[in-house]
Amino acid sequence: MIKVNPPVQCDVLIVGGGTAGLMAAIAAAEKGAKVIVAEKADTRRSGGGATGNDHFGCYIPGYHESVESYMHELEQGMCKGADPKVQRVFVERTFEVVKDWEKWGINMRPFGDDYVFEGHSLPGHPKCFLKIDGRDQKKCLTNEARKRGAIIDNRTSVTRYISRDGRVVGAIAIDISKPEPEIKVYEAKSIISVTGTGARVYPAVAPSCLFNVANCPAGTGTGRVASYEIGATMVNFDKPRAHIGPRYFVRGGKGTWIGACCDADGKAVGIVGRPEPGEQDITTDICQEVFDLSKKNGTGPIFMDCTENPKETMEHMKEGFYSEGISSLLDAMDQQGISLEEDMIEWGRYLPHIQYSGTCINEKCETNVPGLYSAGDECGNFFCGVSGAAVTGRIAGENAAEYVKSVDSFAEIADAPEIKEAQEFYSSLMDREAGSYWEELNYAVQNIMRDYASIETPRSENLLSCGIYYLEELDRIARQRIKCANSHELMRALEAFDILALGRLILISARDRKESRGLHKRADYPYTNPLWNTLSMTIQKVDGEDHTEMRKL
Amino acid sequence: MPPVIDKKKCIGCTTCAQICPLDVYGPVIKGQKPEVLYPNECWHCRACEIDCPVGAISMTYPLPMMLLRRPKSMIKKEGAKK
Ligand SMILES: Cc1cc2nc3c(=O)[nH]c(=O)nc-3n(C[C@H](O)[C@H](O)[C@H](O)COP(=O)(O)OP(=O)(O)OC[C@H]3O[C@@H](n4cnc5c(N)ncnc54)[C@H](O)[C@@H]3O)c2cc1C
Ligand code: SF4
Ligand code: SF4
Repeated sequence: MIKVNPPVQCDVLIVGGGTAGLMAAIAAAEKGAKVIVAEKADTRRSGGGATGNDHFGCYIPGYHESVESYMHELEQGMCKGADPKVQRVFVERTFEVVKDWEKWGINMRPFGDDYVFEGHSLPGHPKCFLKIDGRDQKKCLTNEARKRGAIIDNRTSVTRYISRDGRVVGAIAIDISKPEPEIKVYEAKSIISVTGTGARVYPAVAPSCLFNVANCPAGTGTGRVASYEIGATMVNFDKPRAHIGPRYFVRGGKGTWIGACCDADGKAVGIVGRPEPGEQDITTDICQEVFDLSKKNGTGPIFMDCTENPKETMEHMKEGFYSEGISSLLDAMDQQGISLEEDMIEWGRYLPHIQYSGTCINEKCETNVPGLYSAGDECGNFFCGVSGAAVTGRIAGENAAEYVKSVDSFAEIADAPEIKEAQEFYSSLMDREAGSYWEELNYAVQNIMRDYASIETPRSENLLSCGIYYLEELDRIARQRIKCANSHELMRALEAFDILALGRLILISARDRKESRGLHKRADYPYTNPLWNTLSMTIQKVDGEDHTEMRKL
Repeated sequence: MPPVIDKKKCIGCTTCAQICPLDVYGPVIKGQKPEVLYPNECWHCRACEIDCPVGAISMTYPLPMMLLRRPKSMIKKEGAKK
């Protein structure tokens, strides 16, 4: 049996030490809470911002006209469909975070004294994203969290949350710092669940490269699944979001590319024709149909043409690849003998990753489960990339620190049945001598997601219902079959089970949205119902049953 | 094999194994030069290469991730179609 360590206590347990997690840790520790950050990797280089982000959504009073007009720009551009209540508190507090990040050593003005806005903006409209150099952002935030007394438990992969009387009281994790796994138990008055995106749910663009994905492949939906299991409401799982970018080297950070979307003849095919020199082609942000249609109607492929960039623009863009954390693309091009001055690079749509769908929060970053908070990419009703994660992380940290003052004592969970169950299940995976590898489970889920919750071909009641059944059967079989040789494989196997659980919630939510909307196309309900424009699909576990509801948030 | 360690240059500081977001090097063993244990799980973020104090790491990219290019010179040669 895997060893279970005695519980460790803290006021606020932060699950995931990405941008949101570290900002939450800083805020909660500043308010005097005892904080532990449990991170499966190492907070200095983990998550979507591991080696950088460089577009920081930021509202500067005086520079921008008003909070309302700024929110309107976000809604028209990159951050459609956010809950306005959450988006407003986010917008109001962005500039304060910019100033703090600057104090902490993150380069928010890489081009001199002025703040420079660039990318992700509609032509002729006010710009919303500060161009920063985020390459060392995670190291700086880790320093600040440690300075304020937050404890960081790296190589700790959290697997489940525990609640009592409807309140969150703790979490289970596996320690992967040694080859032999051990179970860690946290008794916590509050949890901030910030595990990032859900990657690896749909197949990768290059099928044999499971980790060749746009956002960090360590985000496997665990925070969402663990929160769901203790009653948290999830939202927008029916709405697929797919990224676009270079092929077959898959990578986020498209805003850094400066060039024009062109066909194979070099003719601009984007919605603004050939953008002004030095400008990003906004087609990549707001009109991805260009990529999808060209594939379906045979007019593709589509390329990103940077060859006409003036020399300074080209240098500026390449530097951006470093501050954006995508310098591996330049390295790969170099090794392949590709020159952006002479070659166009093919772009295409990737299959969905799970972002903009997940845990439902309010403007205090509370979930419906007392003591449970969420922020950043894990949230389902708010998204604004790195700054979204930074600001909501801070808000979650502040409110969780306040909340724990009302909780008198820790619940004792050392003997909780949840821990016994986890120990038995994880041990069974470790003890099995012959069986299947975790990769098989991950690929098997991806097959089902591709074929039964497709974005390439329409969905239907029959397809989605069959898909749900197949996933449930796969889960039963895999529980009896998966084997793990060490802590690393155990982490991966448990991730794969969460990927399956996440896929199931997506299928159920999609089955119950009986209309077509965006990339959710239903053969049996081909129309968009305007009466539902203001409603979001939620899913919640009530008395052990999955319960969906179209709700106004 | 995504990251490749030049064992002659490596000083065994274990930084790469500590910071890798995908645990590609597996658990850190103090005083030992890390091995690339899980090459297929590399995200090609380059963090290990950037943080290695002696420049011992270089990246190789899997063939299926090859970037697809179209040289502008080819368009001129073929003549743009109407
Ligand atoms: C290449 C690239 C460029 C980008 N550029 C921009 C940009 O310029 N502007 C912008 O706004 N956005 C950008 N983004 C998006 C941005 O990085 C994310 O929105 C942001 O990082 C979200 O922060 P987060 O804290 O919510 O999630 P993450 O930063 O992904 O953090 C999640 C953390 O949780 C950890 N974790 C996951 N599961 C567990 C578990 N079970 N137990 C313990 N720990 C766990 C992960 O290891 C990770 O550290 C970019 C993303 C990529 C990949
Ligand atoms: S490139 Fe990134 S994911 Fe790959 S081994 Fe290095 S640190 Fe890990
Ligand atoms: S970071 Fe460089 S020097 Fe340090 S262990 Fe890794 S390869 Fe060796």
